Amino acid sequence: MSNAISSKRRSGRAGVLLLLACFCAAVFLLAVGVGSVAIPVRETLAVARAALTGAPTPEAIPALHVSILTKLRLPRALLSLLCGASLSLAGAVMQSVLRNPLASGYTLGVSSGASLGAALVLLLGLRLPLPGAAMLPAAGFAFGLLTVLAAMALSARFDPGLRSDTIVLTGMVISLFVSAMLSLLCSLNRESLERLYFWQLGSFSGATMEECALLLAVLALSLPCLLRLCGEMDILTFGDELAGTSGLSPKRTRAALILLATLLTGTAVSFCGAIGFVDLVMPHLARRLVGPRHRALLPACALLGGICMMLADLAARTVLSPRELPVGAVTALFGAPFFLLVYFGRRRREADA
Amino acid sequence: MIEVSALCAGYGGREVLHGVGFTLADGESLAILGPNGCGKTTLLRALAGLLPFEGTIRLGGRPLAGMRPRERAAQVGMMSQTMQVSFDYTVREVVRMGRYRLQRRSLLGGETEADERAAEEAMRVTGLLPLSDRRVTALSGGQQQRVFLARVLAQEPAIILLDEPTNHLDLRSQLELLDCLRAYSEGPGRQVVGVFHDLTLAPRLCGKALFLEDGAARAFGAFSEIATPAFLRSLYGVDVRAHLEEALAALPRA
Repeated sequence: MSNAISSKRRSGRAGVLLLLACFCAAVFLLAVGVGSVAIPVRETLAVARAALTGAPTPEAIPALHVSILTKLRLPRALLSLLCGASLSLAGAVMQSVLRNPLASGYTLGVSSGASLGAALVLLLGLRLPLPGAAMLPAAGFAFGLLTVLAAMALSARFDPGLRSDTIVLTGMVISLFVSAMLSLLCSLNRESLERLYFWQLGSFSGATMEECALLLAVLALSLPCLLRLCGEMDILTFGDELAGTSGLSPKRTRAALILLATLLTGTAVSFCGAIGFVDLVMPHLARRLVGPRHRALLPACALLGGICMMLADLAARTVLSPRELPVGAVTALFGAPFFLLVYFGRRRREADA
Repeated sequence: MIEVSALCAGYGGREVLHGVGFTLADGESLAILGPNGCGKTTLLRALAGLLPFEGTIRLGGRPLAGMRPRERAAQVGMMSQTMQVSFDYTVREVVRMGRYRLQRRSLLGGETEADERAAEEAMRVTGLLPLSDRRVTALSGGQQQRVFLARVLAQEPAIILLDEPTNHLDLRSQLELLDCLRAYSEGPGRQVVGVFHDLTLAPRLCGKALFLEDGAARAFGAFSEIATPAFLRSLYGVDVRAHLEEALAALPRA
């Protein structure tokens, strides 16, 4: 009897994932179709089919629509989908691995490190041997990664067992320290302040297919690794003592998972800027929908993150059209109350029960 | 079979155990006893492979230090005193995590039917089947304790380590837990090593006792032979028998 219940629950989870996937596809079509020029879904599908098969686009579609779709809307929707998925996946991994519901890709300083990197490029005119457009993302990614590595190395020095509390504390302190350096830099050079400010708030304008391809490659690389480590993540949420006697090495597994999450966050942040709250809130929402087991949680997180980011970007570019709002402001505006609702709503219901 | 010799272990630079040694034959279960701060839990954690140590620990004839995590988990499993539950897993999900050491890593999850059966059996003997689809976070402390007992039973290690397993349990649950563990320890090649404070519960599960004092072994042998009134008085500074008789006298006979 109990087996019947558990298999029912399993198929329930599969159903939720299928629903989310359909919803994600629908939001994608919406994000591509809506804007200052409305484009019918029929045309979007035709252009997408032509792009995928390499066939010429049907002549019935106005050339303007075709170029808006392929040059602007498709890359933009796709990049927001991929960034949302990456950030939210990384958030789920960090929360589980550090056993902290407030942990996210940013806890260890990915965001502040990336911002410092971007600031060095913008304010000091730091030059890297890269094309101009790639400079900001590359610097952001490199500094985000460096900050996390520094936080991990320091944690390992203070605490050879590399416990999550130590990592969270060290990460927060380093993150604050890096932010202070950023403030210092900004106070020295006020002209570039505005550009930096907007980069930190995040934006998907000017997204390109190359960026999408790169992020897709990172996702395609890290998602299988994460799926293989689902059992480990489940066990790590119960603390090191239990994990260490269950047959895994908590220290090594945790380090590997944190690096994977950093890779995802770092790459996403370098393309879209430091957009917060998606990675914090979506894992909590996903747990409410499919439970805490990572095998269902991770796909749900990726889909929810993508949906949420596409909607946020859609709102950012349409609400005050033709002016564009920073996406990070939109996600924070909705994310903060939503987090309280999702996180404490559950506790209240439990307390009432 | 557990062989420990010249074991020194501690936390950071502070050494807690100073050269502990004992040998436990197959099938023998051990109670680790002694006053607060004598190093009981440290010894248990060293046996679990959770602490760096000097000296040697051999489990089933093989050195613990060279074991890979999965091999170690086949030798020792642990039920610790404090449970940390961060997310809403169901009872069945937690119990199945005990099977991790036997599963292959794969993209789709490596659970087999044998894993499923072992988890169901562990839930059956611990009386958890009616609770199997409940969330662990919604259970009482005593029920959670049973979930983690079932988890370690599903792991099927040769040695189960316990850190004050009867904490937070009412008397009936204490006895049920000990009976459950005794049944496990009677299986082939299996034994139980537990840290106890309660001198009346320890012998119910363990034939052997190791008394520690200030990080060194004070006495090791059959519980019934070494736990004499004179010895316990010298170790705890209390007349244990007199205390227990007083406690018994306070309970009405009818």
